[in-house]
Amino acid sequence: MASIAIAPARARARTSLRQWVGLLYVLPAVALVTVFFVIPLGMTAWMSLHNWPLMGEHSFIGLDNYVAILRDTRFWNALKFTFYYTVVVTIAIFAVAFPLAIFIERPRPLTNLYRTAFFMPAVVGFASASLLWSWLLNVDSGLFSPAAYDLGLTEKKINLLATFQPAFWSIIAMVVWKVAGFTMIILMTGLQSIPQDLQEAAVIDGAGPFARFRMITLPLMRRTLALALILSVAGSILAFDQFYIILRGGPRNQTLTAVYWIFNQSFVSFKLGYGAALSMVLLVILVALSLIQLWLLRKPAGLDD
Amino acid sequence: MRRNKVKTMIAKLALAAAVISGGLQAASAETANIWVRADGSNFMPRIVDAFNKAHKDQIKLDIIPNAEIIPKYGAAAAGGTAPDALSLDLIYTPSFAAAGQLEDITDWAKSLPYFASLSPAHVKTGTYKDRIYGLPFSADASVLIWNKKLFKQAGLDPEKGPTNWAEIEADAEKVNALGGDIKGFYFSGNCGGCNIFTFTPLIWASGGDILSEDGSKATLDSPQLRGAIDLYRSMVKKGLVPEGAQTDTGSNFFAAFAAGNIGISPSGAFAIGALNTQYPNVDYGITFLPGKDGGWSSFAGGDNFVVTKGTKKIEVVKEFLDFAYSLEGQTILAKYGSLPVRNDIAKEALKDLDPRYQVAAEAMAKGKTPYSVVFNDLINSANGPWTQMINEVFFGDDVDGAIKNAQDTMQSIIDQAPNK
Amino acid sequence: MAEAMSQNRKAAFSFARHSTGIIASVLFLAPIVWTVLSTFKPAQEARQPPLPPWPTTGFSIENYETLNSFGDGLWASAQNSIYVSVMTVLLSVLVSVLAGYGFSRFRFPFRDFFFILILSTIMIPFQSILTPIFLVLTKLGLHNTLTGLVCVYVTLQLPFSIFMMRNAFDAVPREIEEAARMDGANNVTMLLRVMLPLVWPGVVTIALFAFLGAWNEFLAALVLMTDQSKFTLPVMMTALQSGRFGAIDWGAVQAGVTVMMVPCLILFLALQRFYIRGLMAGAVK
Repeated sequence: MASIAIAPARARARTSLRQWVGLLYVLPAVALVTVFFVIPLGMTAWMSLHNWPLMGEHSFIGLDNYVAILRDTRFWNALKFTFYYTVVVTIAIFAVAFPLAIFIERPRPLTNLYRTAFFMPAVVGFASASLLWSWLLNVDSGLFSPAAYDLGLTEKKINLLATFQPAFWSIIAMVVWKVAGFTMIILMTGLQSIPQDLQEAAVIDGAGPFARFRMITLPLMRRTLALALILSVAGSILAFDQFYIILRGGPRNQTLTAVYWIFNQSFVSFKLGYGAALSMVLLVILVALSLIQLWLLRKPAGLDD
Repeated sequence: MRRNKVKTMIAKLALAAAVISGGLQAASAETANIWVRADGSNFMPRIVDAFNKAHKDQIKLDIIPNAEIIPKYGAAAAGGTAPDALSLDLIYTPSFAAAGQLEDITDWAKSLPYFASLSPAHVKTGTYKDRIYGLPFSADASVLIWNKKLFKQAGLDPEKGPTNWAEIEADAEKVNALGGDIKGFYFSGNCGGCNIFTFTPLIWASGGDILSEDGSKATLDSPQLRGAIDLYRSMVKKGLVPEGAQTDTGSNFFAAFAAGNIGISPSGAFAIGALNTQYPNVDYGITFLPGKDGGWSSFAGGDNFVVTKGTKKIEVVKEFLDFAYSLEGQTILAKYGSLPVRNDIAKEALKDLDPRYQVAAEAMAKGKTPYSVVFNDLINSANGPWTQMINEVFFGDDVDGAIKNAQDTMQSIIDQAPNK
Repeated sequence: MAEAMSQNRKAAFSFARHSTGIIASVLFLAPIVWTVLSTFKPAQEARQPPLPPWPTTGFSIENYETLNSFGDGLWASAQNSIYVSVMTVLLSVLVSVLAGYGFSRFRFPFRDFFFILILSTIMIPFQSILTPIFLVLTKLGLHNTLTGLVCVYVTLQLPFSIFMMRNAFDAVPREIEEAARMDGANNVTMLLRVMLPLVWPGVVTIALFAFLGAWNEFLAALVLMTDQSKFTLPVMMTALQSGRFGAIDWGAVQAGVTVMMVPCLILFLALQRFYIRGLMAGAVK
C-alpha cells in the first residue's frame, strides 16, 4: 500500500522539479519589476512619512506631509486644472476620433492610405510633438500668429501662449492632433466587431442611421468605448510633457498639472518626502479610477461578446 | 540583476585602486576636485590652469550645467562622491549651509588680512546662523544698458543713459518711435531669476524691498514695488516692449538687446564681455539701475566658494582660494568675465580693461543680495510665486490680487522651510 | 435612368468621401511636412515665420550643422538615444520572451502571482514613483547612467510585452513542442529553434513598441539624466528650446524635431501591421 503511494509522489516531484525551471525563465522579469517598481513603490509610501530633503538627514514626521497637502492650495489648483483638462481633451479627442473611425471602418479604395495618414502623428513622441508645436505657436518665428497677421485677421501678431484661453486651446489642438489617430484605431476595432447582419436587419426594419447608431453601435461598443475612454483619461491625468515643454506651466502657473507639481516639489524644490506624499495621493486617485475602469469593462450581463 | 552586482563590484574595485594610487601620491601633492556652474566656464578653467602651473597641489575642475548643479551635487553627496569644494550661485549658500552640507570656515575666513574688503553681499549670503560657510569667488552686478546708435537716431544724447524712471520711459518712447522692428525697452517677462536681478534694484534704489533683511518676512506690499510695476506696465501698455517678452523665460534676456533692435534693457556686467566679444558691432553704454527719482542700486550676484563638509583636501582648497584672491587671481577673473570680489584691489585688477567695467564694479561694491534659505522656491523657480507675480503684474489685469497672492504664497513657503 | 441616378449618387458619395479624406489627411500631415521642409532653410530664413514652408532663399543643411554645435552636439544626444532605444529593445525582448515562455509552458509555484504582479504595474503610473527610482539608481551606482535609464525603460515595457509574448506562446500548439521533445530537443534549443520562429511576429511587435517607447520618453530621462553628455534627444532638444544655450535657434529646433520624428515614422510605415496588431491585441483584451 505504502509503496504504491510513494511512486506517484516521486513522479510528481520529478515533474514539479521540471516545472520549477519555469521560475528561471521568469526570474529576470520578476527581478526587474521588483527592483524598479515594487521597491520604489514601497519606498514612496515610506518616504511620504518623512521630511526627506535631497541633502542632509531625513527624519520621520508621521502624517505631517499629508496635513501639509491639505493646505497646499497650489496642489489642489493643479489637480483641479488636471481634471478640467482631462474632461475637455477627452471630449475633443472623441469628437474627432469617432467620425474618423467610422470613416475608415469599411475597406474601400484608399482607406488604408487615409488611416495611415491620420495615424502618423500618433507615433511621434509627445516631446517631439510639443517641441514642434512650441515652434508653430511662437509669436515671432512660428506659423499661426504670423499667418493670421499676414492674412489681415489680426491687427498685430498675437502671442498665443501669453494668456490662458488661447494657450490652453492650443494645447488641446496639439493633443487632439497627436492622439486622435490612436483612439481612432481602438474605436475602429470596436466598430468592426459589430456583426454586419445586425445593421442590415435594422435597415430592413426601417431604422434610420441615427437610430441605428444609438440602438446598435453604441451599446455593442460599450467595452471598446470604455477602454478608449480609460486610456484617454489615464493619459490625460498624467499629462506633463506638453505643459512643461510648450508652456512651462504658464501663463502664470495656470496650466500646472498634478504630475508637473509633483515633479516641481520633488526635483526642483527637492522635497522628496513631500513629493512622495503627493504621489501617494495621485496614486489613490488613479487606483480609484482603475476600479471604475474594471467596473465599466465588466462583461455586460446577458450579453456575451 | 547579477550584471548590476558585477558592475558595482568592478566599480568598487576601480574606486579602491584609485584611492590607493591617490593615497600614494598624497605624500607629495594632493589633487582637490572642484565644481563650477556653466556660467563660470570662461574664467574658471583659466584660473585653475594658472594655479596648477604655479603649485604642487592640483585642482581638478568639473563644469556643470547651471540647472543641474544642485541635483547633481545632491545625488553625489548622497552617494559619497561630492567634490571637495564648489563655486556655487551665492543665493544658494544659505540653503546648502542649512542642509548641513558645508564646512564651517569662519576662523580661516576671519584670519584673512583682506577679509573686510571682500564683497559684502557675498559674505552676507555665505553666513548662516553667524557662522561663515561661503566666501566670494566670482561676481556679476546688474546694470542698465542702452544702445547708443538707436539713441542717436532717435535724437537723444547717445552718451547719456537714463538716471531715473521718467527718463527710462521717455527715452524708450523716443527710440520706439523709430518704428519697424525697433522697440524701446526689453525685459524677460516670464523669468523670475532675470527680474530679481534687474527689477528689484529699481525698488531698492527707491527705498523698498521684497524680503526682510533676514529673509523671514515677505514684504511685497510696498509703494516702491507698486511704483516700479507701474513703470513697466506703462511701457508695456504703450507698446514699447516686444510681444515675445511676455513669454520669455529668460532665453532672450541677453539676446534681445544683442540683436541691436532694443533701445534700453536692464542687464548684467556679464553683458560687457559678451557684447564685446560676440557682438562687436553693437555700440552700447552702461549705467546704474536708477531709483524712481534718482539714486541707484544693483543686485550683487555671482558665486560663493563653499567647501564640502568633511573633505580631506581642505588645505588644497584654501591654497586655491588664497591664489584666487591674489592680484594675479583677481586680474585673471576680471579679464575673463567676472568682476573682482576684493574691493581693495578691484580698481587695479580692472585697470587694463574696458572702462565700462568700472561702472559695474562700483555697482557690485554697493550691491545688495536678498537672503533666504528657500531662494529657489521663492524666486528662481519657473513656477514659483515671484515668477508668477511679475508676469501677472506686468501684463495682467489684477495687480493687487497678484501681489497679495504672491505675498501669501511666499510667506507660507518661508514659514514651511525646514531650517529657518 | 434609375441606374444613372444611382451612378451619379455613387460618384457624388465617392467625391465627398475622398475630399473629406484628403482634407483630414492634410490637416494631420501638415505640421510634420511643414517642419521637415522648413529645416532646409538657411539659418537666417529659418528665424522668420515659415510662410511658405519650403526654402525660398536656397536649399541648406545649415540648421543640422548648427544643431551639432550646441552642448555636446546633436550627434552625441542621438547616439545616446540610439543606444538607450536599442538596448531597451534587446533587453525587453530577451526578458519578455523568456518570461512569456516561462509563464506559458511551466507551472511553478507563485506563477499566477508573479504574472499578475507584472501586469498590475500597468495600473500604477511610473511618474509617481520616480523619486525612489532615482534613489534606487543612486544606490546601485546607476544614477546618471544610460544603463540605469535602460533598466527603467525595460521595466516599463514588461507588462505589455510579457502579456503579448505569453499569448503568442499560448497560441503555439503543444503537439509541435512534444514532437520536438521526441527528437531530443532540450528547453533552450526548443525555445530558440522551434518556438521562436513561430512567435516571431509577436517579437517584432514588442520590439517596435519598446523602441518607440524608449526613443520618445521624456520625463524619466529629464529627471534621471543630469549630465549633459548623457542627454537623450528629447531632453537635449528641450534644453535647446528653453534657451539653455542662449537665444532660441528655431531652425535648430526644427532640425532636432525632424531627427526625433523621422525614425519613428519610418519604422511605423515599414512595420505598420505589427503596430496595429499590437494595439488591437491590447484593445480586444
